[in-house]
Amino acid sequence: MKKVFAILLACLMVLSLVACGNGKKAQGKVFNIYAWNEEFKGFFEKYYKVPEGVTVNWIINPSDNGVYQQKLDEALLNQANASADDKIDMFLAEADYIGKYVDSAYTMDITSFGFKNADTMYEYTIKAASDSKGVCKGVSFQCCPAAVIYRKSIAKDVLGTDVPEEVQAKIDTWEKFDDVAAQAKAKGYYMTASFAETFRAFSNNCTSPWVDANGNLQFDPQITAWMDQTEKYIKNGYTLTAGVWDAEKTNEMFKTGKTMCFFGPAWYYNFCMTNAMDPDNGCVGDWCIVKGPQAYFWGGTWLLAATGSDNTDMLKEIFETFTTNEDVVTKLVKDENQYPNNTKIAQKFADDKSYGNTAILDGQNDIAVFAELAKDIKWENHTNYDQLLNEGLQNKLQEFYNGSVDKDTAMKNFYQYVKETYPNIKLPQ
Amino acid sequence: MNKKLSDNTRGLIKLTVLRIIVYAILIFLTALCLFFFYLMVINASRSNAQLATGFTLLPKENFLKNLVNAWNDSSINIPRGMLNSLIIALSSAVLTTYFSALTAYAIHAYDFKGKRAVFTFIIAVMMIPAQVSALGFVQMMNKLHLTNSYIPLIIPSIAAPVVFFYMKQYMESVLPLDVIDAARVDGSGEFRTFNTIVLPMLKPAIAVQMIFSFVSSWNNYFVPALLLDKAEMKTVPIMIAQLRSADYSKFDMGKVYMFILLAILPVMITYIFLSKSIIKGVTAGSVKG
Amino acid sequence: MSKKKTEENGALKSVSYAKWGYIFIIPFFVVYIFFTLVPQFLTIYNSFFESYRIGLEQVGPNYVGLENYRTLFSADSDGIILVLKYTFNTMWLWILGAVPQFVIALLLAIFFTSYRLNIKGQGFFKTVIYMPNLIMAAAFSMLFFTLFSRVGPIQALLEEWGWIDASFDFFSKRVTVRGMIALMNFLMWFGNTTIVLMAGIMGIDQSLFESATIDGANSVQVFFRVTMPLLMPIFVYCLITAMIGGIQMFDVPQVLTNGKGVPNEMTRTLVMYLNGYLTNKNYGMAGAISVFIFVITGILSGFVYKRLSAPYKDKTRLHRRRKGDVI
Repeated sequence: MKKVFAILLACLMVLSLVACGNGKKAQGKVFNIYAWNEEFKGFFEKYYKVPEGVTVNWIINPSDNGVYQQKLDEALLNQANASADDKIDMFLAEADYIGKYVDSAYTMDITSFGFKNADTMYEYTIKAASDSKGVCKGVSFQCCPAAVIYRKSIAKDVLGTDVPEEVQAKIDTWEKFDDVAAQAKAKGYYMTASFAETFRAFSNNCTSPWVDANGNLQFDPQITAWMDQTEKYIKNGYTLTAGVWDAEKTNEMFKTGKTMCFFGPAWYYNFCMTNAMDPDNGCVGDWCIVKGPQAYFWGGTWLLAATGSDNTDMLKEIFETFTTNEDVVTKLVKDENQYPNNTKIAQKFADDKSYGNTAILDGQNDIAVFAELAKDIKWENHTNYDQLLNEGLQNKLQEFYNGSVDKDTAMKNFYQYVKETYPNIKLPQ
Repeated sequence: MNKKLSDNTRGLIKLTVLRIIVYAILIFLTALCLFFFYLMVINASRSNAQLATGFTLLPKENFLKNLVNAWNDSSINIPRGMLNSLIIALSSAVLTTYFSALTAYAIHAYDFKGKRAVFTFIIAVMMIPAQVSALGFVQMMNKLHLTNSYIPLIIPSIAAPVVFFYMKQYMESVLPLDVIDAARVDGSGEFRTFNTIVLPMLKPAIAVQMIFSFVSSWNNYFVPALLLDKAEMKTVPIMIAQLRSADYSKFDMGKVYMFILLAILPVMITYIFLSKSIIKGVTAGSVKG
Repeated sequence: MSKKKTEENGALKSVSYAKWGYIFIIPFFVVYIFFTLVPQFLTIYNSFFESYRIGLEQVGPNYVGLENYRTLFSADSDGIILVLKYTFNTMWLWILGAVPQFVIALLLAIFFTSYRLNIKGQGFFKTVIYMPNLIMAAAFSMLFFTLFSRVGPIQALLEEWGWIDASFDFFSKRVTVRGMIALMNFLMWFGNTTIVLMAGIMGIDQSLFESATIDGANSVQVFFRVTMPLLMPIFVYCLITAMIGGIQMFDVPQVLTNGKGVPNEMTRTLVMYLNGYLTNKNYGMAGAISVFIFVITGILSGFVYKRLSAPYKDKTRLHRRRKGDVI
């Protein structure tokens, strides 16, 4: 028994010595990435060649209920004490909470390892990744202007046309959009398939942040407008009580679906519309995109450099690969249906008359539409609380919309949720 | 004579009716138990598009496809999870039975000062659930850098009051102290006596408790979820719970059903082979209580 | 030969083996103290501090005395004390599953042990009804979620039969969500209880049943006058351990409702409430809730303790063991 322990102990010591030896070298042998889903991992494995001898670890936790942020926070707080191979090198962050990490000492200046932001990047993606002093801590590999994605066959039935320009003309304000919803209903269709489908179109146009400078929770007029609209839509049966990510909603994208409009950016195709691409029951080619009532953007994944990383060369390479490597960026658009964070490539596709999206759309040049929308994206009124407040509001209101509780109770539950999640936020009396 | 016969017949009819009712109840309950699992297996054989069309009682042809998809899924690495769960559950099962038997043996075979207090203490804390000390536990493991480690999931099983109590009960019925005396006479050391003579006598109890602790460790969710976050460390229940909250892999429902099936399969297979001794174990654990 | 043996016995007599008793309980106690007792005290200690995290910033720990308990037991604007609401939720969910669990288990135990009925295929029935007890609760509730979801097969089937309309949602009504949880708990536990109660009935002296029958008692009378009173200790023990298990209810409602306790927090249990604060790293409040749960389970454990320790108060048995120890 003792012998076994002695041998084990010796092994452990040798191992830790080896580990220390590695840590001292210029570049580490282990590259740790925190992420909340597989989206970027897929691109990473396809388009980035990991240097010989380096192991890449993916630590993936779902973002639902804030689990991803909690796990990431815990790891970052331990970063200083972690051994070189256990330190986070890079982590992914979403628009809803990127500020929390950018404005902290846990992310590092990307110029410190020689990366320079290119002038082909969208301005807002740089602003989002920069702290209050303007120091940039990471890059985004995508730009996320979002649009209305509509079913052509249903539009034809409801509006008598499926041509993007004509459809756009009929839904370019919320009032008109509501009218079309009523027409769709009359024909037995739904306007949207989730009560929260239009949430981002409103919330990303807010003119005030969720929490003001004094820590008070506040409701922007855009948020209340969304609540009013949704209440009406539910009451009139224009939409379903499913959440944005629910199967009930995504089932509406099958050929058999009865829903006319979906709201999303380019990443929405691969991420939410797999049912539409189903070989047996899908409806590829029955889709087009238009701006819709209100320009907005949704989400976006930033790659942030973690302070303490010993793989800075790799960080630089990764950042370059997904933002300025024209070969890779072109493939992201062509093969992966992404809208890139590279104005030059985007413009090239937008101007290319022969380009069209046939993976899901009817061959329409969606990049041209997105490129127009991308020009207007501004980065403002974001707080570190956005993810959990957006998610919490939707979850609690869903219970009102599906008839479980009345509106007052739903709001009370939301306040209680805020109190439990962020004890520091002051609630309205 | 006639009257008696009719009495008998009436009794027989009554009994038959009663039997029919009893069998009906039993069949209903068994069907209820099996129904949901049957649906699971059926749905695991249907594609996502087929699942969207609703209810069916007959299997479809996509079982193998779903199995391959689920097995090879990169976000929910179920083979890895099963291996992790297996490592934890097996080690816990071995440790918990061995050390519970050892502790029970100490109380059973020796007399020492404070023995009564030790026994009283263990029974008193027997029912206190792990959840009420989870906070301190997680905090300590964080401080000791033991998160993302199996140590906090395996080692605590050494101190399992319930298993201890079962072992103690069992020893009382099968382990006469004369056996130990005889071993002493033969010059066997105390520790050796326990390992070579006592343990083999406890085999049935050990087998039963190993199964139970294996199952409860395999199914354990609360504490592992608080401690593990690295993908390659996660256990099956964490992966299953993640399915419920994940926004990425739940769209292929056929795969989801297959994940659930895979999660419970190892225990099911064990159960099919060992159900007799498991049920015996439950019986034995109760009467002596 | 026999002389030698007595000599050896004589030699052994002077050896005390007590130290081995101490040595053998060391692993248990070291592990228990380190992994349970210290964390338990740490948990209680935490409950007196304000300590939470806002993102990457740690607030506290600051000593606040009983402030966390005051927060825990303070009523909201509608006069509802949340922790009590969640306690009632937990008890409700448990009772809804436990009542059928014990009634059915008692019935089945009587069926199985009845000589008159002489049920065939007992092995099969017992095997099947015990099976759900071994199922991973997380997987079982994930299964229920998928089966009962808006796009699941049960909804489709009931719609086809015309029992519900298309807008029906199992997850939007208190009665259906609680019903699903109760059904799962019932399915997972009634087989176990049946087997335990069966063992209890079989432990009763058969001659008592015989003499009762000879005295002209019918089966109902036998049940209420003989079986039940004699089964009572085991029945109560079962009930209380089940209740302690019920207070810990977590996996099933957590996974079924994705931690949300829908509808209207009506299926949020105490441990789900605790889990929320634990994952938020609000250790002050988590500590206070832990202590609350600790007190409830502690009181119930008292009953279990009384029952389990009773046989050991028997003087003769203790004497026998003492005799066996030092020869």
